[in-house]
Amino acid sequence: MFRPEEMVKIEVITLNRYKDGLLTYLHENGAVEVRELNVKVAQRDSPNEYHRKAASYSITISRLVDFLRAHKRKGKGSIKEFIFPPERKKRKYKYEGIEKLIKDVEEFLSKVEPEVKAIEAKITSLQTEIERIKSDISVLELLSSLNIEVSYLRSTDMLEIVVGTVDRNRFKPLLEEVSKATGGRVVVVSKELKDRVLAVFVFLKGDYEKANPILAKYSLERIEIPEGEGTPRELIREYEAKLKEREKDLEDARKDAEKLAEKYYEDVVFYKELVENERDKSSVLPMLARTNMTFALTGWLPRADVTKILEGIKRLTGGKAYINVREPSEEELEEIPIKLNNPGWAKPFEMLTEMYGVPRYDEIDPTPIITFTYSFFFGFMLTDFMYGLIVGLVAALLVKGHKKLNDGTYKFAYTLLISSFFTMFMGAIFGSYFGNALDLAGFHVPRVWDTFENALVVLQLALAIGLAHLFTGYTIGFVVKLKNGDKKGALFDQLSWMLIILGIVVLALASGSQSAKLTGEVIFGIGLVLFAIGEVVNNKGLAALLIISDFFGFVGSWLSYARLMALALATSGIAMVVNILVQMIWGIKFLYIGPIVGVILFIGGQLFSVAINSLGAFVHSLRLQYVEFFGTFYSGDGKPFEPFKAKREVSELEFEA
Amino acid sequence: MDPIVYVSLGAALAAGLAGAASAFGVGVAGAAAAGVVAEDEKNFKNALILEGLPMTQSIYGLITLFLILMVSGILGGGFKFTANTPDNIVKSAILLGAGLTVGLTGLSAIPQGVIASAGIGAVAKNPKTFTQGIIFAAMAETMAIFGLVGALIMIVTGVGF
Amino acid sequence: MSGILDTTLALVFTWVGYKTSMIIYKYTPYSYPNARIKAMEAKLLIEQRFNELAESRTLQNFVVSLEDTPYRDYLADLQSYDVESIERALEKALAGTYELMAKILPKRVNPFFRLLLEEWDVRNITSVVKAKLADEPAMDYVVEIGPMLQKVKAMAEAKSMEEILVILEGTPYEEPYQKLLLGEIDVRAFETELYKMHYGKLLDYALSKKDEERTILEEFVRLRIDKLNILTALRGKAARLSAEEIRPMLIPGGSVKLDPLLHVEDLSMALAELDSTKYGPVIRDVREEVEKDLGVLERVLEEHIIERMNELNRFYPLSVATPLGYVLQKEREVRKLRAIAKLISDGLPPERIKELAGDVA
Repeated sequence: MFRPEEMVKIEVITLNRYKDGLLTYLHENGAVEVRELNVKVAQRDSPNEYHRKAASYSITISRLVDFLRAHKRKGKGSIKEFIFPPERKKRKYKYEGIEKLIKDVEEFLSKVEPEVKAIEAKITSLQTEIERIKSDISVLELLSSLNIEVSYLRSTDMLEIVVGTVDRNRFKPLLEEVSKATGGRVVVVSKELKDRVLAVFVFLKGDYEKANPILAKYSLERIEIPEGEGTPRELIREYEAKLKEREKDLEDARKDAEKLAEKYYEDVVFYKELVENERDKSSVLPMLARTNMTFALTGWLPRADVTKILEGIKRLTGGKAYINVREPSEEELEEIPIKLNNPGWAKPFEMLTEMYGVPRYDEIDPTPIITFTYSFFFGFMLTDFMYGLIVGLVAALLVKGHKKLNDGTYKFAYTLLISSFFTMFMGAIFGSYFGNALDLAGFHVPRVWDTFENALVVLQLALAIGLAHLFTGYTIGFVVKLKNGDKKGALFDQLSWMLIILGIVVLALASGSQSAKLTGEVIFGIGLVLFAIGEVVNNKGLAALLIISDFFGFVGSWLSYARLMALALATSGIAMVVNILVQMIWGIKFLYIGPIVGVILFIGGQLFSVAINSLGAFVHSLRLQYVEFFGTFYSGDGKPFEPFKAKREVSELEFEA
Repeated sequence: MDPIVYVSLGAALAAGLAGAASAFGVGVAGAAAAGVVAEDEKNFKNALILEGLPMTQSIYGLITLFLILMVSGILGGGFKFTANTPDNIVKSAILLGAGLTVGLTGLSAIPQGVIASAGIGAVAKNPKTFTQGIIFAAMAETMAIFGLVGALIMIVTGVGF
Repeated sequence: MSGILDTTLALVFTWVGYKTSMIIYKYTPYSYPNARIKAMEAKLLIEQRFNELAESRTLQNFVVSLEDTPYRDYLADLQSYDVESIERALEKALAGTYELMAKILPKRVNPFFRLLLEEWDVRNITSVVKAKLADEPAMDYVVEIGPMLQKVKAMAEAKSMEEILVILEGTPYEEPYQKLLLGEIDVRAFETELYKMHYGKLLDYALSKKDEERTILEEFVRLRIDKLNILTALRGKAARLSAEEIRPMLIPGGSVKLDPLLHVEDLSMALAELDSTKYGPVIRDVREEVEKDLGVLERVLEEHIIERMNELNRFYPLSVATPLGYVLQKEREVRKLRAIAKLISDGLPPERIKELAGDVA
């Protein structure tokens, strides 16, 4: 807790023939983050033919997956499935080297790919044909206004026939120019459409060349005449019959695809995962160094995993490996990957820390603190027992359903669950159950404060909490900086503010007592002086300006905690508005309209209120952590730990290790 | 002016200005949301949450409206400041001030909508920026929150329940 | 007393109202298009995709691998898997991008994208005219973009130079073409003339805008003019042309003075001159390569414009910089895809393709 997991650096040199096995072992274990190894004498390793094959097969297979998924019969996609996602079965695969795996994949593909491709090609060609028929029909519809046999619109040995549309106001000059150029040897049939003119030009073969550039000049859009005989109207009927036929074919082809998807989808997904992991595995190869006989690998791993990994490597290589595990050196501080290390109850909250940025190796991991403060602030802002109950119930269901997956939904739901306890607690203190619904219904609700009547108390409470929160932040920063030997920073940037805050607290509590007041002023004064000195030391010339802006920055941060009260008020405010409206409607006795509409309005309104206020509480609670709290001590500049790890959802590798 | 004018003006300005600003803000962000969803439906959830952020100002306006109506007695009982005495005028003017504060600070919904709009674009490009986008947009809301706190202090200390 | 109060209130409200409406006027129209473009940017192909495409080996695989990209719609009605039709489809996709920009962007800037599209007309017309003069099949040089595409195609099919004049009648390109036919100018001057007209139009449009729109558009146009001019000047220098010969080929409106560069002896000295301009930092890293191959410089300058647009984009997220940056990136992507398709059809091994395709973009 409070510290990221301790990391050590590992260096391994062993024979090339163990490479595939060793990488597979590390990949499946996912405990080591492999780093680039720079050795002058050795060359970089590179993917071989099989790795490249893995890459290209992974594309092929993912295309198959896409196609089959698109044609798979859809599941219900119900809420139940969202809350309790079914666990996916993991299929075993016996791993005997990448060569064998590629061979298996090839075998599988040789069987499945042609089948899928055949159907896919059929569907595509049918779709294009349908598109073509449709466009032919629309052309025919255009031509039908002329009512000329379609075969007359095609060029013959003697005549060149051009059909097209042109802007209405350019048609006349076009006509004149064309007939001038051809010496009048042109026949034109035309029909005015909306703002364009549909025209058929008939030229002698020899005149066509003269006319053509003129047609281009006036931007005549040519129309291709569809095949067939008869008038456009007759042809349209013919084409429509053809269209229906093709559409039925397409439907059949889709059904075939559906069958194929049922048969192969699971297999294809399984093989996809296999080759994608191979491909991912090969991505570290360029980071290794190698000679003719040996290769070397380096990386970071958590201290807790060292024994396990060492044993694994020894077993794999039969002891024929040079392994060196060492502590990180001072210079490597910047590049040590950070793996957060928190007890189970705070683990899901790591998500919030990671969203901002993980700590540097020598910094404190704030997750345990924000586990408490985030949830508490969330509760303070939502402040309603029933709202907390609703949020908590939904969150509890999600936590139960997603626990095994340990995915983002689980983590988020867990944070909500913890927050909902605080919400209920704060709701009880403020006597808020769906806002003031119970009061309006005539019950006597016990409460310590009322959000509206004691608004000022709530505000003072919010500001006091803010001061405590900021003080915690500065104190942590002080300790961390002192530990890392940054005495100046600890004194000027952290201690100064701690004193200022202490001073404010003493002054606020002094109430009349002169000596207490004096003590407060002295503490506040020392803090202020330290702060001013710090600014001068850090910024030289600009100090005067920065003293003012930084001090008011602090005041701004502090006042920003007033949002705790504002959002608490907003929750009870909206709830109250809903309640008052329901109360007004309730009075309509006619046909029970009042109670019926009232209940609907109440449920709908309160649900809306839960949703909008939870969003507000989430956003602003997070903001108070990220902006105000982290601003006092936390950099979040660390590099997150990205282990070399296989993604296994539907497959499981069995291999000798 | 009569106290009733002050009071109703205060209530109207609080809910009206803040509401109009929220509408503009949600409108700007909503256009962006429509844009990213047109390209990829996966963006829907993220865009929806960001789009909803500028809505809060109208809620603050609404709460202020109700508070003003309650303390002045329009809601529940009868209007308290019917008589044109100096005391009543002062109290109703304070309510006008409170309403105006929330209304004007509620204008922060418009820039918040602009920020949310840019945020929606950024999230569509890189989904990892979602939280950051939310925090940036929430920054603009601080002024509205200060406005609400200020108005509340004015109402509670200046008029009282 | 109440007078002062009223005036103050009126002032405050006017000011707030004005500021608010300015914000709304300035940003609202960009909200939809820019968010949509950002989502489109997420779909631009990444390096890994290009590598995978380079591995395709056949054009059919190449097309198939593009099926989960926005190119899908354009590749769907491909009749056969040959380079020409694939290139045409890619060009159409690019044209589609421009048209989409013109459609979704606010009215106050979308004409700019229509103007940008005209650059393709200029390119097409000059290549057709050049091909005709050299008696080559002009159709091979036509790129499937541009508002005048129909006319350009007709030009390519025209049997004589006079026919082209008939087709160009009534367009702004008629006059320079007439001069070319009369022998008043040569084909190079004709090309320069067309580009001058085009960039003149762009610049006029940019300067007619206000505030940040003007800043961004102006910078964009000037950067592009600079790029063309620098390339022309250096190519001229590489061919040992004199300052007087090069000068008429330059397009007015650029942001750097190229005069000193024209008066030096050869390419490497010209590059040294360029180093003292604002493009110094841009070319410094690749100077040696540039001396060997000016194509590198073209790439670097293009890259620089994209980078500049991205900077402006970060500075003004809701502005015209986003679409400008996007179309440039899309152009680069299409160029790269075309190159890969071509190289695949030439039967080059994947490693070579990766290498060469990297040089294109």
